[in-house]
Amino acid sequence: MRQAMVPLSEQRTFWKAFWRRFRRHRLAMASLAVIAFMLLVALLAPWIAPYDPFAQPRGEDFGERIFSPPSREHPLGTDDLGRDVLSRLMYGARISLLVGFSVATSSVLVGLLLGALAGYYAGRPLRFYLGPLRREKEGFYPWSFALWRVFSWFLYYGVLFLLFQMFLGVTEMGREAGSLGAQVFFWISMAFLLFAALWGLRGEIRLDLDTAISRLIDFMLAIPTLPLLLVLSALLRDPRVPVGQWAQDVLGDAASVFIIIAILVLFGWLTPARIVRGTILSLREQDYVTAAQALGASDSRILFRHLIPNALAPLIVLATLQVGYAILVESGLSFLGFGIQPPVATWGNMLANAQEYIFTAPWLALPPGFMIFITVLAFNFVGDGLRDALDPRSRL
Amino acid sequence: MFAYVVRRLFQMVPLLLAASFVIFALLALQPGDPLDEVRMQNPRITAEQLAALRKAYGLDDPIHIRYAKWLTRALQGDLGYSRTYGIPAAEYIFEQRLPRTLLLSGLALLLALLVSIPVGVFSAVRQYTLADYTITFLAFIGLSIPNFFLGILLLYLFAVRLPELIPGFPQFPTGGVPPFLFEEVRQGLVSLGTFLGLWAWHLILPVVVLSTSSMAEWTRFMRASLLEVLSQDYIRTARAKGLAERVVLYKHALRNALIPIVTLVGLAIPGVMSGAVLTETVFSYPGMGRAIFDALVEKDYSVAMAALAFLALMVALFNLLADLAYALVDPRIRYS
Repeated sequence: MRQAMVPLSEQRTFWKAFWRRFRRHRLAMASLAVIAFMLLVALLAPWIAPYDPFAQPRGEDFGERIFSPPSREHPLGTDDLGRDVLSRLMYGARISLLVGFSVATSSVLVGLLLGALAGYYAGRPLRFYLGPLRREKEGFYPWSFALWRVFSWFLYYGVLFLLFQMFLGVTEMGREAGSLGAQVFFWISMAFLLFAALWGLRGEIRLDLDTAISRLIDFMLAIPTLPLLLVLSALLRDPRVPVGQWAQDVLGDAASVFIIIAILVLFGWLTPARIVRGTILSLREQDYVTAAQALGASDSRILFRHLIPNALAPLIVLATLQVGYAILVESGLSFLGFGIQPPVATWGNMLANAQEYIFTAPWLALPPGFMIFITVLAFNFVGDGLRDALDPRSRL
Repeated sequence: MFAYVVRRLFQMVPLLLAASFVIFALLALQPGDPLDEVRMQNPRITAEQLAALRKAYGLDDPIHIRYAKWLTRALQGDLGYSRTYGIPAAEYIFEQRLPRTLLLSGLALLLALLVSIPVGVFSAVRQYTLADYTITFLAFIGLSIPNFFLGILLLYLFAVRLPELIPGFPQFPTGGVPPFLFEEVRQGLVSLGTFLGLWAWHLILPVVVLSTSSMAEWTRFMRASLLEVLSQDYIRTARAKGLAERVVLYKHALRNALIPIVTLVGLAIPGVMSGAVLTETVFSYPGMGRAIFDALVEKDYSVAMAALAFLALMVALFNLLADLAYALVDPRIRYS
């Protein structure tokens, strides 16, 4: 038994090996320190910030206390309302890091779940729709499916009804314009609807969960992202819209932060989901999965105990990169005025403010822009280090 | 191949219908309707008149019916009127804004390609040297620096600070664009050199800013791709045959390493078109991104809808083109 003679200290666990490889990446280690420092500043902001970030000077000397260049009193100067830039920068760190971390974790979790489902159930069609008159060959199906079946009839005929209304609207518009095609269009569309309604009585739609999720991802990717972020943000943060109203009531000033996080997650889960799907697709063919199935393990046990842990490595890298990306997009949206609203200070809206005064008060632009840059750079380097340490072969 | 293209085009139809419907619904749900302006201009308008206008504009219809009507008209080439500019939305977007955006983003893509491919190759050939580390580091910086911050920084340096400090330093414009003086150039009122120089002068900074992130990304990608190819057996064979390193690199390795770049570039094109909002804002460049932004602020929804639907179409088309180009440059890939 020679193996037993190996000294304990030389035994390598996965995480020890990982840490050893990660430590060699000097830039990543330095970046880790930078991120730790930022987190510390963000957490301690209320205690270490020299001034109240929202406080505006009052009194006769107001004119002298706005736009004051960096001085001993205000290390980074004051802005157009006389607020201390350093204090605002510290409070901005809280928002940026909060947005970055929550967007990254939520979108990776959503992506993990949907990607794993898509990958694991690929090729196993789900009965999405079964017409009311169609007889099922196998006599038994679960109660939940019976409920779904009834629901799907409403869904199918509901869509047909909406289409019917749409066709009527178009026909009416054509008639008003005196178009000859209106009548032809009307009869063709009605014939189509009639056919669809009759088919629906006995028809059947089998849908693969993988196809459904992959199509959804394709669809989301086909929408131009940045403009749509603008549209969504304009819609959701308006207090006249129910969601915006609700967010304002519940969260107050923090509403725009919450909404930005939600919007970024909406588009953030696509890449993680695609990567997880691909990994799970190849992992599920491995022998250990077959073995687990042979031992009678349930689907959820195989997914959560065998497949997902093995798909995590690239996701950790992706999550790190997404923190940086989310901070970048958030600051961009805030810069355009569609993100987090003043008076809440974020690096993005500080920079937007600073651009207006670039000629008179250039010291306002540098600090927030530099903070965004350094933070995103740090997360990119840590991501790179993690990739080298976790799975050296992937290029992501 | 032909059958494949046709099938892909057919698959695009439901995708685009769904995408345009979602965009339309999101725009239609935005608070405030086109009649707000009428109400502002004429405070004495009666409720009955407003109701009649609502009916005439079809604002009482549910969203899906309004979408059907919009789609029917859009398919006939009628994208509605811009409320802000009083001209057809199609004219505003496609004749006034699109050419400028194509110019800006086309030049930015070209610059990114011209820099990233040679630099990526150089970096890969000199792997683990000081030059390689420097390039990789710079690429990280390019990826991490926010577009708008870089824009502000360059504006401050080249349009304000340097001309102040160094006498005789050329002062760059702080934004905007000169007009397209095609007619004047043709009549000889303005020389071609002046015209091109004027445009170049205004375009240098925005093009550089817009190209940084793609440049950085593609450099890293090119380096990784070439390194992977260089480690393959056929390269060792080529070297063992005694071929010159130049031949091995450019004839054997680079060709294969470029294949993934083709897809990357194809997929980046629509992104650059729509993602230029930030750069266009910093440089007050009147392009598509800025047009969408302004349309949202001014609640000019025909314009926003036309531009967004067009971008969705572009994304779908360039996805297809990227796949086709991939098959074109890589004979191992066959679509059927």
